[in-house]
Amino acid sequence: MNKLYDLRIVIGIFFLIIGFLLMGYAFFLDGSLEENIKINLYCGLLFLSFGLLMLLLKTKRNRSN
Amino acid sequence: MKLELIDYLIIAIYFVFVIGIGFLLKRQVKSANDFLMSNRNIPLWITSLAFISANLGAQEVLGMAANGAKYGLYTVHFYWLGAALAMIFLGVFMMPFYYGSKARSVPEYLKLRFDEKTRTFNAFGFAAMTVFSSGVSLYALAMLMEVILGWNFDLSIWISALVVFGYIFMGGLTSAVYNEVLQFFLIVLGIAPLVFLGLHKVGGWEGIVANVQDAKLHVWKGLDDPSHNPMGVDAFSMVFGLGFVLAFGYWCTDFLVVQRAMISKNLSDAQKTPIIAAIPKILMPAIVILPGIIILALQNKFLGFELPVNANGDANYNMVLPILLQKLYPNGILGVGITALIASFMSGMAGNVTAFNTVWTFDIYQSHIKKNGSEKHYYYVGKIATVAGILISILTAYVARGFNNIMDLLQLVFSFVNAPLFATFFLGMFWKRTTGHGAFWGLIFGTAAATITHGLTVAEGKGGWIANIHEFYSGTSQAFNIAWISFLVCVVVTIVISLITKPKPEEELVGLVYSLTPKQTDSNKIWYKNPLWMGVAVLIVTIVFNIIFF
Repeated sequence: MNKLYDLRIVIGIFFLIIGFLLMGYAFFLDGSLEENIKINLYCGLLFLSFGLLMLLLKTKRNRSN
Repeated sequence: MKLELIDYLIIAIYFVFVIGIGFLLKRQVKSANDFLMSNRNIPLWITSLAFISANLGAQEVLGMAANGAKYGLYTVHFYWLGAALAMIFLGVFMMPFYYGSKARSVPEYLKLRFDEKTRTFNAFGFAAMTVFSSGVSLYALAMLMEVILGWNFDLSIWISALVVFGYIFMGGLTSAVYNEVLQFFLIVLGIAPLVFLGLHKVGGWEGIVANVQDAKLHVWKGLDDPSHNPMGVDAFSMVFGLGFVLAFGYWCTDFLVVQRAMISKNLSDAQKTPIIAAIPKILMPAIVILPGIIILALQNKFLGFELPVNANGDANYNMVLPILLQKLYPNGILGVGITALIASFMSGMAGNVTAFNTVWTFDIYQSHIKKNGSEKHYYYVGKIATVAGILISILTAYVARGFNNIMDLLQLVFSFVNAPLFATFFLGMFWKRTTGHGAFWGLIFGTAAATITHGLTVAEGKGGWIANIHEFYSGTSQAFNIAWISFLVCVVVTIVISLITKPKPEEELVGLVYSLTPKQTDSNKIWYKNPLWMGVAVLIVTIVFNIIFF
């Protein structure tokens, strides 16, 4: 529970969830909506990467401590 | 605009997270100090992002996009001329007095430096302004959701207010600050793809240059005459009115933002907070102003990007961002975009409510109603003030719905009060002869001068309720001119009255006035970690931006 007090964990998890949701949604979209698929997929990737970065920063900080 | 299940899911997840942050922090909040001041224990990266996010409310996100469309790149003066310099000045020169004096709020600094009446005048004015601002934010959110999504007005008001109330009531200021950081990332990452898609559609920067009138693509060109630039302002009122008085008045004295720096772990972090915040601040025009310019280019190239007109037949510039969201975002990312808008409203509201409960508890209740209560007592007073702040905000939102002009009126009153305030702080911190009577009457006369100037001048059909002796090209120009006039009146009155009244003994002013405070030697041997050099670096980048877009 204490780990969750670190804001980087909270932000990281939030953007991971949103990233996965957008990417998952892109896969379920009708193939005719190619542009919509691309936008959601790339944005999902962006959010996923940002979420991972926040979690990575937290891990690095723990190691340096 | 029609949302689908995925969009609602994203909004719901956001609500769960913001409430969750409050819930996680609940156990750590046990005293008034924890609830209202975060025990002065917040890391630098969080205070810096919260500092900028507390200002990233609805007026900023929707309003700056609107200004981008109306005034073009001239809008960046709010960032590259106003905010950047003021934030650096706050960090380098003013923070040592705010933080070093151990004041818990900006009005409390006024008490230490001047006297009780100056503090009380500022505290009451500020408390009223924050809850009204919070209510206006709530009203704007509910109106927007009603217009673009067809959501019920009452439901939007009550759900948003309850969510903000929930996380502040449980986790206090720390919860508001943590949420502001989440909201900052959500706003930036939720709107950045919109800017990218808009630029892509219009053909990049070349497409903007080809489709937007040249006057709206420069920052300084055309400032020689108000009729030569889209904002209708002259160089003096821009540089002195906006760049000095309004910007310094807001960034250096508004407790809403200064509070974020005052909860840092130590003085060095408190000084660095506004300076580090200035880095994302000077980049924010790409997120909040550029959409307004993009829509101008899109209107020229494609159909369907026209702005709706209001009752007066003028374009409703506040719809810039909602229209771009509707036209460029498909469902999925649309949910993120809408959530970013909701986040901006909630961020503005929470910032106001947390500043209100602190000022109410320490500067009004403790100072005038119960002086020697226990920590636990003030903790409960802070919580009750949070409930009252939210309820008054809701009430204000409903009043604003009934009287459309109340928003304009409130913003006008805020500008009258804010403009002379910086003169009081500036003289108080840098002239040891300034007295409490001088400061108090300077504020009264400065505010009166702002009101009278508005009554004697007209812009875009507003003002001139006493007589019309001058007409400005735009409301913005009128606001900048009112600001510098009230500042000068406040300075003159404060100096005159200070010279004929008795100053405080010098020994009582140590730590409160520049010339009487021992200079701090920064223990940081690494030059780039020194607040002064950090400020210089940010300033150089800002100057380069001004030159590039001259």
